[in-house]
Amino acid sequence: MGKEHIRIVDTDIHERVQYKDILKYLDEPFKHYIQNCHWVQEKHMPYTQPTVAGVDRADAKIPDGKPAGTDLAFMQKQLLDDIGHEFGILTSALDPSPSSMHGWYEMATALASAYNNWQIEEWLERDERLYGSVHIAAQDRDAAVKEINRVGSHPKMVQVLLPIDDIMWGDPFYHPIFEAAEKHNLMIGMHHNEPPVYYGKWPRYFIEWHTLISTAHMKQVTNMIFNGVFDKFPNLGLMMIEGGFTWVPHIMWKMDQQYRDLRHEVPWLKRKPSDIFKEQIRVTTQPAEELTKQEFMSLIEQMGTDEILCFSTDYPHWDYDSPTRALPNLDLELKKKIFAENAKSFYPKLPNSKEF
Amino acid sequence: MKEQVVCKTTELEPGEMKAAHFGKQDVLICRTLDGEFYAFLNQCTHQGAPLDKGMICGATTEDSTPGDYHYCRKGEIIRCPWHGREFDIKDEGRMLANPNKRLASFKVRVENEDVIVYK
Ligand code: FES
Repeated sequence: MGKEHIRIVDTDIHERVQYKDILKYLDEPFKHYIQNCHWVQEKHMPYTQPTVAGVDRADAKIPDGKPAGTDLAFMQKQLLDDIGHEFGILTSALDPSPSSMHGWYEMATALASAYNNWQIEEWLERDERLYGSVHIAAQDRDAAVKEINRVGSHPKMVQVLLPIDDIMWGDPFYHPIFEAAEKHNLMIGMHHNEPPVYYGKWPRYFIEWHTLISTAHMKQVTNMIFNGVFDKFPNLGLMMIEGGFTWVPHIMWKMDQQYRDLRHEVPWLKRKPSDIFKEQIRVTTQPAEELTKQEFMSLIEQMGTDEILCFSTDYPHWDYDSPTRALPNLDLELKKKIFAENAKSFYPKLPNSKEF
Repeated sequence: MKEQVVCKTTELEPGEMKAAHFGKQDVLICRTLDGEFYAFLNQCTHQGAPLDKGMICGATTEDSTPGDYHYCRKGEIIRCPWHGREFDIKDEGRMLANPNKRLASFKVRVENEDVIVYK
């Protein structure tokens, strides 16, 4: 089974804008802050990725010296054409998207609009394979809803990338955002972007933080399910991006067991938590642990469905997963589901009609 | 015995590496700081990344204790451009974190200014 026989829908690709390139999409006075005041987002992470080239694959740097992910032609050559992607979903949460900004609501909101315009003009409308994520500054919720309404109907926007903050996503604060997303057939995407994995602080080493990213995913899923988000918004879907997937059976079992004992507290749940998960939550595969086929199949069995996992590369980041090497060699039908069909059935705006 | 000149000694300074062809195979020629040449398959054992896009570097060693790094082996370690796995050039290309895994290697000899890879 060579790679040429299966289609690939890559659910996590990182395009990157440089501060200077977003200027033309920014209005004043915000443009001035970057252009003349040299504003850059405050960074929180105390470490770098201790790899050859930091956050990026060392071979993904653009030959002219620009950072990885900044050049469509290079991405086409190194990723989309080389591997033969059918579709790719852009998810960059890197600065200066507002995804890790706190405070200065106006700047964050202006950045979100500029980022979305840049993404649409320079990526989505230049390669038919690429689909996008609506970036919002959710700290100003009403402005975020406006932004979803402004660009959410673009035919190539498939999800809202919701920034992780200290209000959990099950909180009613976010309901208007979910409502707007549902209205435009957009799913919600959670891409880890420096979520806290220890008790409000950073662990001493990057390797600890990176190991525990999945805990941030588990917290958000648990919170949204028990707070009734998926019952209130039955057409909403949640894509959990870049947390791996081996945590899924654990949280399903744990939630179901708790629900049997403690349902009294959350009577609005009409379905078993694991059923809600199976119906409305999807999980991208990267970064995949190295599993044998037997181990992988046992996990799928524990999940109770083979429709949750959606393949992702995380290109051009250092922990990129190769479509031909990251997962064990699976049977054809399952391969088709994980590499393309699951994502196509999940995102209502992704074309689903191409024949296999 | 199959053998082939893959480059000139002058094309690689000590501490550098480069990609070359050995028949149909992509090989990685490495030169350690003592001037010796080594050749491996130019493909990471993990997910197949092209190793020549990584770096030759040193390593933090087992003598380190929490809070106290020991760094040595300069010029003797290949680090993969993707997930950063480290392979020991002078120990048959063994992976530092799991010495049971190693890069496929080739024999090398130098004649005059020719670097020759053979099996
Ligand atoms: S491909 Fe080399 S470390 Fe993963």
